[in-house]
Amino acid sequence: MQRTMAASTRSAGEITIVDLVGQIDLGSSPALRKTLLNSLKTTNHMAINLGGVSYIDSSGIASLIEVLKEAQDTKKRLVLFGVAGAVLQVLQLTRLTGVFEIAQTEEQVLHG
Amino acid sequence: MDFHLKLVVPSDPRFLSIARKVVSEVSAICGLPDEACQGITLALDEAVANVIRHAYKNRYDQEIELDCQVNAERIVFRLLDEGEPPDPARICAQPLNDVSLSGRGTHLMRTIMDEMSYKQTSGKNELRLVKNLPRAQVNTAGG
Repeated sequence: MQRTMAASTRSAGEITIVDLVGQIDLGSSPALRKTLLNSLKTTNHMAINLGGVSYIDSSGIASLIEVLKEAQDTKKRLVLFGVAGAVLQVLQLTRLTGVFEIAQTEEQVLHG
Repeated sequence: MDFHLKLVVPSDPRFLSIARKVVSEVSAICGLPDEACQGITLALDEAVANVIRHAYKNRYDQEIELDCQVNAERIVFRLLDEGEPPDPARICAQPLNDVSLSGRGTHLMRTIMDEMSYKQTSGKNELRLVKNLPRAQVNTAGG
């Protein structure tokens, strides 16, 4: 299990995809927030792949919410995918599964 | 099987993963299923993070004591710190009808754990988090 968080960005047509791996906590969530906000500046449609995230806490969720708000304020689209396991559990416990647009797979993001 | 474990970690976010690992393993030793272990780990991580941010105001050079006391009925976690006492209003869980950026950690602790209480003990802040165990869950196998 990867302990530290890592992020990489790629493009699929008009969509910017940010792939996250590792554990997101108080130590790594500031970097996550910065990475996501910077990526959002350069695209109108961003998808965040959480499939490689083994752990996320409320500080990580707060970072996602902040990016969501920025996307909404700038009329951009933000989608999460690869939401499962511990990540899904936290989103369910904080009742945020209905707040974010969540796709099941990357395929659904690209062609849904 | 009763046991007691105590860990002192620096108030540095880099050490949160160590606290999580300990809590996760303690929960597994108690025979809890993976999902429950994940939940307890999350709750304790949130508690330690709150101490770092609020009690110690993001000072990374302080200490946080994590104490785990297990018996057949429950796991009792106590977090002790020498930082600023919490504002009682902030201990209240965040209502989950909006997307504000704070307060979810406390909500997670209250939702996941069976008991949560705060007091001052010998000049230290003490947060007590309890998880009840289903009957006969603690792994009694040696080694």
